[in-house]
Amino acid sequence: MFEKSLTDLIQGLRANKRNETAYIQKSLEEIQSEVQSSDTNVKSTAIDKLNYLHMLGYDMNWANFNVVEVMAASRFSEKRSGYLAATQSFHQETDVLMLTTNLIRKDLASANVMEVSVALDGLAQITTLELSMDLFDDVLAVLGHSRPYIRKKALICLYKLVLKYPEGLHAFVPQLKERLDDPDPSVISAAVTVICELAHSNPRNYLPLAPKLYHLLNTLTNNWILIKIVKLFASLASIEPRLAKKIHGPLSQLVCTTTAMSLLYECIHTAIVADVISVPVPIVDSIGREVEFADLCARKLTLLYESPDQNVRYVGLVALSLMQQKRPDLASIHFEPILKYLDDPDQSIRMRALEAISGIVTRKNLSKTVKRLMSQLILSNTIALQPEHSAGSLFDKSSVNSDASSLDTPLLDSNGTTFASARGAIISPRKANSAASDPADNPEYRLAAIEAIVDMCTRNSYSNLANFEWYVATLVDLVYVASVDVGKLLSAKLLDVTVRVRQVREFSIKMGRSLLSDSQLMSQIAADSSQAPIVTTAAYILGEYCMLLPANADDVGFLLPESLPRFSPDQQSTFIQAAMKTYTNWLKDSSEYWNSDIWESVRSVTSTTLSKLSELIYTEDVNVTAAGSNAGGLESAFALLPLQMNSQLRHFIEILKAVSMATSNLSESAPHICQELHSLFTAFELNPVSAAAQGKVPMPDGLDLDSFIGDAIPDTTLTVIPPSPPPHVVRSHRSGSMGQPRRHNSSRNKNDPFYLGSSAKDGGDRNFDDLPDVDDIPVVALDLSHIGSTKLVDNAKKSKKKKSKKDKSRPETHSKRHRRRKAKSPSPSPPIAPVEIAGDEDMIDDSEDGMVIAGQQQQTVSAAEQLAATTSERSIVDNPGGDNIGKNEGHRSA
Amino acid sequence: MIHAVMIINQLGKPRLLKFYDQTDTATQQSALRDIYALVSQRADNLCRFISYPKWANARIIYRRYATLFFIFIVDHSESELGIIDLIQVFVEALDRVFENVSELDIIFNFDEVHYVLSEIVTAGMASEVNLTEIARAVGDARKLAKPIEPSRLGLASFRRGFS
Repeated sequence: MFEKSLTDLIQGLRANKRNETAYIQKSLEEIQSEVQSSDTNVKSTAIDKLNYLHMLGYDMNWANFNVVEVMAASRFSEKRSGYLAATQSFHQETDVLMLTTNLIRKDLASANVMEVSVALDGLAQITTLELSMDLFDDVLAVLGHSRPYIRKKALICLYKLVLKYPEGLHAFVPQLKERLDDPDPSVISAAVTVICELAHSNPRNYLPLAPKLYHLLNTLTNNWILIKIVKLFASLASIEPRLAKKIHGPLSQLVCTTTAMSLLYECIHTAIVADVISVPVPIVDSIGREVEFADLCARKLTLLYESPDQNVRYVGLVALSLMQQKRPDLASIHFEPILKYLDDPDQSIRMRALEAISGIVTRKNLSKTVKRLMSQLILSNTIALQPEHSAGSLFDKSSVNSDASSLDTPLLDSNGTTFASARGAIISPRKANSAASDPADNPEYRLAAIEAIVDMCTRNSYSNLANFEWYVATLVDLVYVASVDVGKLLSAKLLDVTVRVRQVREFSIKMGRSLLSDSQLMSQIAADSSQAPIVTTAAYILGEYCMLLPANADDVGFLLPESLPRFSPDQQSTFIQAAMKTYTNWLKDSSEYWNSDIWESVRSVTSTTLSKLSELIYTEDVNVTAAGSNAGGLESAFALLPLQMNSQLRHFIEILKAVSMATSNLSESAPHICQELHSLFTAFELNPVSAAAQGKVPMPDGLDLDSFIGDAIPDTTLTVIPPSPPPHVVRSHRSGSMGQPRRHNSSRNKNDPFYLGSSAKDGGDRNFDDLPDVDDIPVVALDLSHIGSTKLVDNAKKSKKKKSKKDKSRPETHSKRHRRRKAKSPSPSPPIAPVEIAGDEDMIDDSEDGMVIAGQQQQTVSAAEQLAATTSERSIVDNPGGDNIGKNEGHRSA
Repeated sequence: MIHAVMIINQLGKPRLLKFYDQTDTATQQSALRDIYALVSQRADNLCRFISYPKWANARIIYRRYATLFFIFIVDHSESELGIIDLIQVFVEALDRVFENVSELDIIFNFDEVHYVLSEIVTAGMASEVNLTEIARAVGDARKLAKPIEPSRLGLASFRRGFS
């Protein structure tokens, strides 16, 4: 039988470009029979061929056993093929590895140097824990070999073995130290390389080697090893700061004298990382002047990054960005030169320049830098992103270059020493095109640029920033030019600056309003949700700080956009909450000048908003539409909404209904109600709270959150809908009593298990008390406690029944709810205060809280929090002594 | 350490793949495609360093010689400029071994290229940068191995006069 050689296979592949797969399939079948051959030569050739196909992406693990057979061959060329195939295809779980132990042991003990070398090479790459344990002593014995060639390979092999078998380190490290004195530079180099790798993960163990390494640093002249030693000192000095002073001398000497850019860079790198530049010992430079090492490094850095060689420039920028972290004062002189690298055509250089510059920027040149970056982002934004470079061209048969002459081009010039080669002769036109593309089109670069802009603006609590409005405007501009997913980043930054910087809030509202009113942006978000977080933040800001600007009825419309159903439930509830706040704020503002025009507009805005909300509910679930638009349908639609949305919407709709009833005629009392509504949200200011603040409040002694304070409050289920037929609402309104809907609300809310914000209502009541014309408002005159309690009892009975049936499956929810209720229960004891703060913090950061609790419970709890946040966040926090809460609780238990 | 060494031609065909971490074929091929896409896009006057986000801490350092890209994927304990020099050492070593090396030599002697590489990089660590030492080790091994059969059509082999 005639077998193909490796050359035949390769030639065959080249001849069969059109049907390569078929050819390979045929060859694989041949190989499958050849590896079974008893002729080791045929077998090893088959393995060679298989190895070649492996490079093209064909699996060769099925031949693992045959690979081991070839490894055991007696002829060196075959053995070598076997080892090569093993290193290419074996992995940790390869079962035949256990067969190799003795075979490798035999090769390690071979008298033939090349066989030992092949075995060391192979073992280093395929070793497992078992192999490492079994063969460790054998390799250690080889370390004393007479040939340096074997000693260096044995060192590296031992390193690979101790990675798998760390117990070997005790025996290995003394040997390693001894090898640092080896007469052969290659062995020293290998030893240093190995120590470098080992010290990378655990520098402390290798500190004792520092004197010896220091000696080498002073005596060696081989740049390759010096680079390694200098790098090694960087990791050693990270745990032993005194080393910085020690290596100051040799390092500064190297920086002064070396002509090798690679060594110069590594020296500067180590000098910065190990903080050698801060050692206050002056050095004498090449022309005999005394200079500070740090200044010298800074000057040499210029040499690096101004180099015509792009590679040297790159490392120069890397070193500069390191220096800017350690010594911003020294780095700042490099600002102007670095700025120009932001426009470098090379993306790698640009990325490094970005890293370097964000630390160098000062208050003076911030806006210049940001402008430069913004103009890049804007200009390239108009160009569509290039399609991903076609990986398919790899297999594009038509494009395969069969021009043998190009393949024959010598890789090196005739003299073989110059680095410049015959490149450029055969650059395909495609390459020339893609080279012209702007790095600013690259999403990776855009992301980095945006992060750099934000980073340099916010650094050190905005210390670089002179104009906050400019910053907010920049953030909003970024929303439009980004074209990468930075919505989360931008929204976090927008919120941060708005909450923390009081002066910029008005401007933030304006910008937020402009974002929300941009119908193009809003419809774009419907298709691509990456910008949704920032619009949501804009909505939050608009809702939260709306009273800072003259109210505008349009805001309510902006906050209930048509695309709202496309947002996530969390974001939707933020929108609705914000809409509720802006609406009530607008009511308050407009009712100050109450006349028939205002009355008309209040009526129209209220009814439009109400209809928008109803639409929102029905678009949530199309099936519900069939239920019709009457109130009963509305209620059943509620049940299908996500819980937090459910309560949000419910309360907004209640408010809207109340307002529409109150304003059904030009009553004198309407303005009062309208004005009071917004005070529900603004009784106390919401201040930013550090995420770590809660941890600093000590737990009061004797506070046990798990024990019941009083009798367990009868629990109600989620689905309890208070009996509230719409005719009743209408009738009560007809009777002329303004208090009726309000009382109805309050009693309903008491029965609502998620209406934690009862204290806010009390806050509202108290405000009514404070009014001079309090008697005009019937709600105060009504006997709330009586009605409330009867309804409460009724509902409690019903809900108890329901609960026992339905709610057994959610004990966790109950206990959580109990705990929360308790936190707001009428205990007069001071320990309550921190707990209330805890509740408030939950609201600030409810998304995090929600993540901790899974599934339905999460929904329940965060729904409760959301609700509380809408109605009562302020009053809960700052209510001194909790007397209002107590009053409310009294109502409830009466 | 050095994670991988690749030789890819300008059309994306692999000429040598050496992974020092044990990776499966599919990962190797996808890395090959990714890296070719990154490297081939870059003009010749740009720097030779690319960050490779898919691989933690990995950087691609490459050089182009005529039709071939020589690509090293390394972590942060390697010196960037050092690796640039190491690639040059590798190519010069190939040039000594194959006498005026071209892509054809590398295609038809892919095992030999592996053996040359193994004298320079041992299990992911640079072990020799001295060209004389490398050439001697390769020569020793070649003496031991049986003479390479003169291939029927291997022009490269004919030209070199292996026999």
